[in-house]
Amino acid sequence: MAPKRGRPSRQTKASTSQLAVDPEIVVKRTRRHLEELERSNYSEPSTAFTLAEDDGGEPSKSARGRARQTISDKRNYDSNGKKKKSTMNIRTALLYRKNLSTLIDESGIANLPSNAPSYLTAVTLPPREPPRLLCSVCGYWGRYKCKKCALPYCDLNCQSVHDETRCERRVV
Amino acid sequence: MKSLPTVVVDNGAATIKAGLTDGDSEPRLVANAVVRSRGDKTTYFGHEFERCRDYSSLHFRLPFEKGYLVDWDAQKAVWDGLFSAEVLSVNAPESSLLITEPYFNLPNVQDVYDQFVFEEYEFHSYYRCTPASLIPRGDMFTDPFLAPPECMLLVDAGFSFTHVVPILNGSIVWSAVKRIDVGGKLLTNHLKELTSFRQWNMMDETYIMNNVKESCCFISTNYNRDLETCRLDPKKNAIVQEYILPDFATNREGRIRRQDDIVSDGDQILFMNNERFVVPEIIFRPDDIGLQQVGLPATIAHSISLLPEDIQGLFWANIGLIGGSTKFPGFRERLAAELRSLAPVDCEVAIYQSQEPITECYRSALAFVQEPDFQEYCVTRAEYLESGSNACRRKFKDWKLVDEKGKGAAVREPAKPKPRTEDPEESDASPPPKRGGRGRTRTTSTSTRKR
Ligand SMILES: [Zn+2]
Ligand SMILES: [Zn+2]
Repeated sequence: MAPKRGRPSRQTKASTSQLAVDPEIVVKRTRRHLEELERSNYSEPSTAFTLAEDDGGEPSKSARGRARQTISDKRNYDSNGKKKKSTMNIRTALLYRKNLSTLIDESGIANLPSNAPSYLTAVTLPPREPPRLLCSVCGYWGRYKCKKCALPYCDLNCQSVHDETRCERRVV
Repeated sequence: MKSLPTVVVDNGAATIKAGLTDGDSEPRLVANAVVRSRGDKTTYFGHEFERCRDYSSLHFRLPFEKGYLVDWDAQKAVWDGLFSAEVLSVNAPESSLLITEPYFNLPNVQDVYDQFVFEEYEFHSYYRCTPASLIPRGDMFTDPFLAPPECMLLVDAGFSFTHVVPILNGSIVWSAVKRIDVGGKLLTNHLKELTSFRQWNMMDETYIMNNVKESCCFISTNYNRDLETCRLDPKKNAIVQEYILPDFATNREGRIRRQDDIVSDGDQILFMNNERFVVPEIIFRPDDIGLQQVGLPATIAHSISLLPEDIQGLFWANIGLIGGSTKFPGFRERLAAELRSLAPVDCEVAIYQSQEPITECYRSALAFVQEPDFQEYCVTRAEYLESGSNACRRKFKDWKLVDEKGKGAAVREPAKPKPRTEDPEESDASPPPKRGGRGRTRTTSTSTRKR
């Protein structure tokens, strides 16, 4: 049964502790969502992308086969056409892409004293207050929380939209 | 040392701002990406993206991941074009280079920058630094009657994240630099999600939704009131805008519907209601999307609290905004209001908004490389061939990891720089204010972005 509009949010907050949703699951879901918000493309990871056939690139056979291909040699801007051979450092950088977490590991910044400024210590403070609840459907204040997945919604209308669509996305 | 032609590359994760000392004063803006257009059946490298005709479902390969350069193959593809006759016509062995790197760049990544500059492109000499470190060289804070302030606090809100960067006597105080993991990329993706859930599936339309964001979004100065306004009638209220999505024929980029616009049945209309301000709100309230970080005003207050107490007032009075994500209308007003309630009562809070926040660093860099002693900051190729990246680690003054086992890391004071007031041409300028900025009467920026 849907709660009536206008119920004070404080009451709902108190009742969230009785929700059957594991807070760990909510934390995981949020983390996954934040990772999605960093993507350069929705459909596929951008690392899988080299050149398509119509650009004169090699036809892609498999992700493994493509991994050692470079795109930066696909243009020839120099009119005299002679290409110099790159150094070992450059060839290594071009052929072996490392993702950021690998680079951070290799940089050793995790071993610095906690007061040494680095990427890891520069992040700002965590919030001091609990977050405000916003309706996951329409963006208005979310007075209520779904009992199954803990996402907030604002009224009956948004609750039914939530039940039909969003709630399916709950983390199992 | 003789003056060499110098290339300035502000190497942003989304857009490169680049130019030459003997070229135009305005930079060339180049997409820092390899972009595939399905409609055009073509892949564009960096500057070639200008030729793109079909913006639907573009696929992006970005050299940067979360603000750091990781894909050197893609970066080289973009740089090769940039330095070529198609854009800047750089003769590297006879040129000097100034290139920007991210705040807190990793030492192992910094080495690769050096390798590309000297081993691949063979520049004569180069200087690498962070964007904010260049601002004291420009005229962003300059007022005809005042020298540049000795204390300034820059907010650099870019594509990958937002940094708060205090600068004392021309050098960044690294122990007080703070980061919020919210930038333009996250905001566009957030808008894509909201739109796709509520109206049209735009998940593959990053380029189009970035345009929608830039055209429609603003920072609310009264969130509660604006939320209520949008709730009354979601299709007709003082905030809602109708955005005509691109049709890839007459309206390739899409646009906000004007009063006299006649829309046909085939036109797809996107209603931008509370999305207009809910999206950039994340800079001020990252916890709205569950990100466990305080927003920009509290981050500024935190950064200032880490600075020497007797000069904190000078930072409150000299806050500067740079980077594309500071262009949202209402940004400065909202920030000013919130900072006012966080700052000590007797402190003046003044915010300077760059009129061109995307190219502010480029222009400051151009001023720097034209100073007579610029070459003294550079590492030459000869020095690199002699001692490798050590030459750069020794000489570059901006960001480097403290290698001593934490000795003095947190209190590491920047080397005393030459203040710009020593410049003979400016020697008769009045000295910078000494107190908490109360002598300065300017309390608002010279201009805000108009829409
Ligand atoms: Zn709702
Ligand atoms: Zn649910």
